[in-house]
Amino acid sequence: MTTLTHDPIGAHAPHGHGHGPTGLMRWVTTTNHKDIGTMYLIFSFIMFLSGGVMALTIRTELFQPGLQVVEPEFFNQLTTMHGLVMVFGAIMPAFVGFANWMIPLMIGASDMAFARMNNWSFWLLPPAAILLLGSFFVPGGATAAGWTLYAPLSVQMGMGMDLAIFAIHIMGISSIMGAINIVVTVLNMRAPGMTMMKMPLFCWTWLITAYLLIAVMPVLAGAVTMILTDRHFGTSFFNAAGGGDPVMFQHIFWFFGHPEVYIMILPAFGIVSQIIPTFSRKPLFGYASMVYATSSIAILSFTVWAHHMFTTGMPAVAQLFFMYATMLIAVPTGVKVFNWVATMWRGSLSFESPMLWATGFIFVFTMGGFTGLICAIAPIDIQLQDTYYVVAHFHYVLVAGSLFALFAGAYYWLPKWTGHMPSEFLGKLHFWCSMVFFNITFFPMHFLGLAGMPRRIPDYALQFADFNALATIGAFGFGLSQLIFLVVVVKCVRGGEKAAAQSWEGAEGLEWTVPSPAPHHTFEEAPVFKG
Amino acid sequence: MSGDAPRAGFLATVKAVLWSFVGIRKRKDYHDDASSLDPKAVIVAGVLGGLIFVLTIVAVVNWVVS
Repeated sequence: MTTLTHDPIGAHAPHGHGHGPTGLMRWVTTTNHKDIGTMYLIFSFIMFLSGGVMALTIRTELFQPGLQVVEPEFFNQLTTMHGLVMVFGAIMPAFVGFANWMIPLMIGASDMAFARMNNWSFWLLPPAAILLLGSFFVPGGATAAGWTLYAPLSVQMGMGMDLAIFAIHIMGISSIMGAINIVVTVLNMRAPGMTMMKMPLFCWTWLITAYLLIAVMPVLAGAVTMILTDRHFGTSFFNAAGGGDPVMFQHIFWFFGHPEVYIMILPAFGIVSQIIPTFSRKPLFGYASMVYATSSIAILSFTVWAHHMFTTGMPAVAQLFFMYATMLIAVPTGVKVFNWVATMWRGSLSFESPMLWATGFIFVFTMGGFTGLICAIAPIDIQLQDTYYVVAHFHYVLVAGSLFALFAGAYYWLPKWTGHMPSEFLGKLHFWCSMVFFNITFFPMHFLGLAGMPRRIPDYALQFADFNALATIGAFGFGLSQLIFLVVVVKCVRGGEKAAAQSWEGAEGLEWTVPSPAPHHTFEEAPVFKG
Repeated sequence: MSGDAPRAGFLATVKAVLWSFVGIRKRKDYHDDASSLDPKAVIVAGVLGGLIFVLTIVAVVNWVVS
């Protein structure tokens, strides 16, 4: 379907770049979208492992009732930092890494629009990570206010909170610059012939995500800045004694926080929408409706934030408004799930590792979506608020949703990145271990939550013991399974079966017209796209 | 957007935007949209559509609690 006239410039020197510094300075000074994409992906994997170690420490403490392993104060720091590290350090930068690598290749651009700003966007992240992780070692330890940083807790914390605030500011600046870069690249640098409605869906979902980022990251920055001034400069934004209102923090935070949920899932939808047609050997069913559904999800995501706050004492009118709006947002999300299934319907399916992860994503993410609908019903949510049911829900969305899609994308594009096919055996092992252990970890949490076990506690009543022990066993299985991925990537970088330019039989799009591994410079002369 | 095709009218733009809220579009209508819609008009219609969406829910909620 996709054809082009294109002379793959640089094919003569697959690894060569011929100019610029070498060694460490190559990575520090690079403006190449592939180098920067690689750095984003490595950074996010390191943060993923760091956040994973925190999660396993949490689960070790929760293996049995009573306090065995960590102090309660440190436990609270771990739950907070696990959330912050996974959201801002692992999931978001990983998607930006995918965008850096793949968007220019998919639209036939030679690089990102602002290549130097791209370098800066990345290099802001390691200092932010050092601030965040280093805060464990300052007096009072890291912030323990929960990843939502609710006032008044966040106003009362020690200096670890200040470090977290600065880290969030820096990561926010990085995200905004990354988003601007993606918007301009997608709008201005598409190959001749590639109209917006012929663009790969991954580019569409990232374009919309980038607008969401630009809209809401400043809101988060404002919220944490107000905490900072409340802490140190005598303001009382969130201090009732000074005329402020702690509930206002929740409104501001969740006005950022709910679109943030979609920031972390829309690019995942994009990745899955690339993979399913490839391994179904059929074009994506309802491409236009996918674009429309993504846009409407983005718009509606601004109207549902207070469903995170049903227990804060809103008037019934407001509770109903947010409940109805939240339930309506399930409609475009459902359209997407139906479209993926319709794409597979009567397709010539094969289940290589990327497709396994993508179909696994649909199955488990849909379960997370349904528990979201249950939480959206205000009278039910009042029972479930701050219980393990909510923990189960958002891990089904963020782990089985975002993370599984990231793995799907990694297996799909590893041949393009490294020039070698990933091991099918290890990829399948990684998938099945992750799928089984994920469900062993998080499915029992639904029962724990329905039975009333609160989240963010280091100790619990005896009746919750069995499901917690099971969840801890699952968590260690899941954590160790991720090391399989590390082995796959290292093996793939070092050698293996050579990948063709079109590495997968049904793969279509400009990225599959350049050699594997993609040369350092691609599309220096714009290809002509005939979709 | 193609410059040769006739520009879509206001109602056609609103119709396309309202369908986009559900996330569904007929293939024929989509092809018509792709050739005739003005992006600026779509953004205006989108903002209006968002406003109508919010006001409709507010009206329904008020009716439910009255």
